[in-house]
Amino acid sequence: MVQGVGNSRVFRQDPDLPVPEDVRERVLELEAEGEWVVQRVPEPYAEVPTKYGRTKKVPLAHTWHHKSCGQCGHIPGYSTAIFWLHRKLGLEYDDPRDQTSCTGWNYYASATSNAAAQAAVAARNFAAAYESGYFPLIHCGTSYGHYKEVREELVKHGELRRQVRDILGKLGRPFVMPEEIVHYSEWVYAVRHEIAARRVHDCSEVVVTVHPACHYYKLVQGDAIYDPDIYGGQRTAVVTAVAQALGAQVRDYSTWFDCCGFGFRHILVQRDFTRSFAVGRKIEVMVEEAKPDVVLTHDTGCVTTLDKSQFAAQVHNRKVGVPVMSEAQFAALAMGAHPYRVCQLHWHAADYRPLLEKMGIDWREKWREFEDDLERIRRGEKEYLTWEDVDAEVPVRHFVPAS
Amino acid sequence: MANDAVLVVGGGPAGLEAARGAADLGARVVLVEERDHLGGTPIFERYAALTHGFQDAEEVMERLTREVTTHPNVQVRLLTRVVGCEGSAGDFRVRLAKVGDGTSETVHVGSIVVATGFQHFDPGRETQVYGYYEYPDVITLVEAEAMLKAKRFVRPSTGQPPERVCFIQCVGSRDRQIGNEYCSKVCCGIASKQAIEIRQQVPNCKVYIFYIDMRMYGYWENEIYWPAQEQYKVQYIKGIATEIIQKGDKLLVRGEDTTLGRPMEVLMDMVILSVGMEPSKGTREVARVLGLKQNKYGFIEVPHEGLDPVATSVPGIFVAGAAAGPKDLDDTLSMAGAAAMKAVATVRRAAASPAG
Amino acid sequence: MALHAPPRLERYADVPYEEKERLFQEVKADPRFPDYLYGCYECGICVAACPSARFYDFSPRKIAQTLAREDVELFYYQLNEDIWNCSQCFSCNRCPRGNSPGGLITLMREVAVRNGLRSAKEALEGYSRVIYKIMSTGTQVSPDMIQADAFPDWGPVAKETAENLDLWRRALPPETMHTTTTAWEVEDRTLAELYAIWYMTGTMDIIREVDEGLHMILCDVMEELLEEKGYAVAGGGE
Repeated sequence: MVQGVGNSRVFRQDPDLPVPEDVRERVLELEAEGEWVVQRVPEPYAEVPTKYGRTKKVPLAHTWHHKSCGQCGHIPGYSTAIFWLHRKLGLEYDDPRDQTSCTGWNYYASATSNAAAQAAVAARNFAAAYESGYFPLIHCGTSYGHYKEVREELVKHGELRRQVRDILGKLGRPFVMPEEIVHYSEWVYAVRHEIAARRVHDCSEVVVTVHPACHYYKLVQGDAIYDPDIYGGQRTAVVTAVAQALGAQVRDYSTWFDCCGFGFRHILVQRDFTRSFAVGRKIEVMVEEAKPDVVLTHDTGCVTTLDKSQFAAQVHNRKVGVPVMSEAQFAALAMGAHPYRVCQLHWHAADYRPLLEKMGIDWREKWREFEDDLERIRRGEKEYLTWEDVDAEVPVRHFVPAS
Repeated sequence: MANDAVLVVGGGPAGLEAARGAADLGARVVLVEERDHLGGTPIFERYAALTHGFQDAEEVMERLTREVTTHPNVQVRLLTRVVGCEGSAGDFRVRLAKVGDGTSETVHVGSIVVATGFQHFDPGRETQVYGYYEYPDVITLVEAEAMLKAKRFVRPSTGQPPERVCFIQCVGSRDRQIGNEYCSKVCCGIASKQAIEIRQQVPNCKVYIFYIDMRMYGYWENEIYWPAQEQYKVQYIKGIATEIIQKGDKLLVRGEDTTLGRPMEVLMDMVILSVGMEPSKGTREVARVLGLKQNKYGFIEVPHEGLDPVATSVPGIFVAGAAAGPKDLDDTLSMAGAAAMKAVATVRRAAASPAG
Repeated sequence: MALHAPPRLERYADVPYEEKERLFQEVKADPRFPDYLYGCYECGICVAACPSARFYDFSPRKIAQTLAREDVELFYYQLNEDIWNCSQCFSCNRCPRGNSPGGLITLMREVAVRNGLRSAKEALEGYSRVIYKIMSTGTQVSPDMIQADAFPDWGPVAKETAENLDLWRRALPPETMHTTTTAWEVEDRTLAELYAIWYMTGTMDIIREVDEGLHMILCDVMEELLEEKGYAVAGGGE
């Protein structure tokens, strides 16, 4: 149980009471009407509970990784850890080059966009996934939330569908809508017990605070994961459920629902807002109320904002200095992933070394190993670090889901 | 041959009043109640004082119940549910089943009054994050009412009297996202009444009510709202909370003070969620069994043709009280009287023209 | 006439009412508008959940109210003064009426940009590099955007990353991520399709409205690849 949260009441959904319309039913109806092709979630998949008591299918393998620009660009251990977890569970995936970012930045930050452009970019990526035979798994919280909004818009507006279908026709691509829109953190949630079973570092002394990503559960909240066993089913369960499965101590804090302060344009051009909010409303509150060893979250902008905003506040002796990473990186560390080769923690700003020490990871030795890698690359002995270099460190233990 | 009896389904305020009314008009009445006792929600949920006149709920309900159970024209069937129905106005054959042992009987009646009531909204379904399933000191009107009745109003987490309490209005009502777009009508009055009772029982406790609109119809204004403000110093703040979260041993309530136009964060010892009304399970089930049209919220639909507030989509079947939508007790009892009159009239008309 | 005049409303007194009305109607005409605004009973939930309301003199409730009241003067003021403060977290989507004040603000931003309002141009100053990345590379954020002089407040890690960028990128196991100017490797075919989408949806026209110089640079980059990949849309989409 999350510390500070919980009572004897147990929430049960009443299936007879009205719930908002399920957009996925309309997606299938539109397929029956010949409007588009629905890409089915491949087997094996997990069925996970969502906000209104419905279930959602989360593919376990054969996934097309819709990467996040902010993750790959600035915190590349995030994406690498997601791939690494797939590899260690023996679950096949595709890391495509036929993929663009969503146009979240155009939409949320600069507005140099319109509904048709956004929908067409999403649909182009969906078509690319469909043609590859793999099912989209979306790394970025914003892309995930944005694509769910695009799905709603496409379902509601026939004229927009016509426009997008025309564009895809000109590109020679099919018009495809996935049966489910799935975020990577839903996949991590779905395999959390498998990850826990492969844990090699003790997490029981690690105090975790969770920052849930706004665009994961505030945009189209009906299909975010809510689990009756986590926060009584009252808050999204992703990330928290993973930290708990790994045996860490998750603690509550009073600004749980606040955003991180990213703000899209703000982190670049109104940065006083971002720094103040990230420090004053999130990190300091966590430090005062929960004293975390690590902040775990599940989106690109949140990791960047919460991590990078702490440095300037240190100068002013504010209560900061907590490492920030994704639950995927934390899970990978617990499973024995290399903190630099895989989790790439040297890209992070706040000091993560005390956390590694608490988990029993010798970061000095690991950094020395990684520096050797860098040296070999520098000398031209190796062109790149490769999966082969890291795969041997931790053996694959195949996850064979019951079908 | 049409039967001269009236079937009343539901033994709460509406059902009891409909049964008493029909019996007083000389009809034979069969009153069916699923629970093992009469009195409905006010008794089952242990209501303290009623909004109108601050009368003791138990005393008032006992008086009404006694008049029904001692009436020679009324037969009461407790632990009984309606499971089937055939026929039409003046000639219904209704199958009743005993809860538990599964035995059943069929009664022959000329008309039916449905008085199956409401249930309180479950705050687990809120779109806002009120932490009812997370923090013990977040309670609903229902639990507050029971504590006030027991004259022991304390923080569940400590057993100590609170120093700051707030009510949050419109929980589960007036909400498109939840699907309950209607106003539940009584929560403003009940919250204000409870606020007064808290101030009476725990005089050192400050009480706040966060609201969108205070809907204090008619005499509730002068009997409850004004005294709450003027005599009992209950603080009314226009603006609803979006989040409740633990901070130390207090609850942090975040909302907007819309009068000042700024975000507001206040610490409370207890938060009371003013949960609205939804159709009870019994209402939904009886509507299905009797083939009554329900509105989009699951309440029994009143067609509203020709100013008939107790009609349903089936002639000869009438509805009273919160089975037809949110109602206060005055409206419930008035409806029950009207339903009793229509039900008896249906029986008499059928008896007068057996061919029709 | 504004029902209730905020301070400095007179700042826009010289903009003709008809122009303000035209922009208001453009927002209202967006097909998404009815999904984003039903009505407002001023519960304050959107403000309570809003991070920007804590930092700026900013209120999502007032945006919804202004649009619902069709207060054209106040709308024009907000279009220039308020909308760029929204942090687009969509916490306001909890609105019990089903409104999306954040969604309304995006529509207003799009109209402000499409019409080349001076306030929009100012808001996008210092932002053209990001737009350039988004539109020309297929990835919106790239490793080479972390430069020590641009992010001094991010501490020594920004400097270290910039100095070691090529080496550190090579030390990433995923083979798609050895890039420095894009977040990952994007195929040319994919890029050409993206460019074609910009032309076919009028996005290039939007860019020209706010930043002519950027528009020219983008056209140069895009038209070459589009031609190579056999798309005839270049130039014709405008």
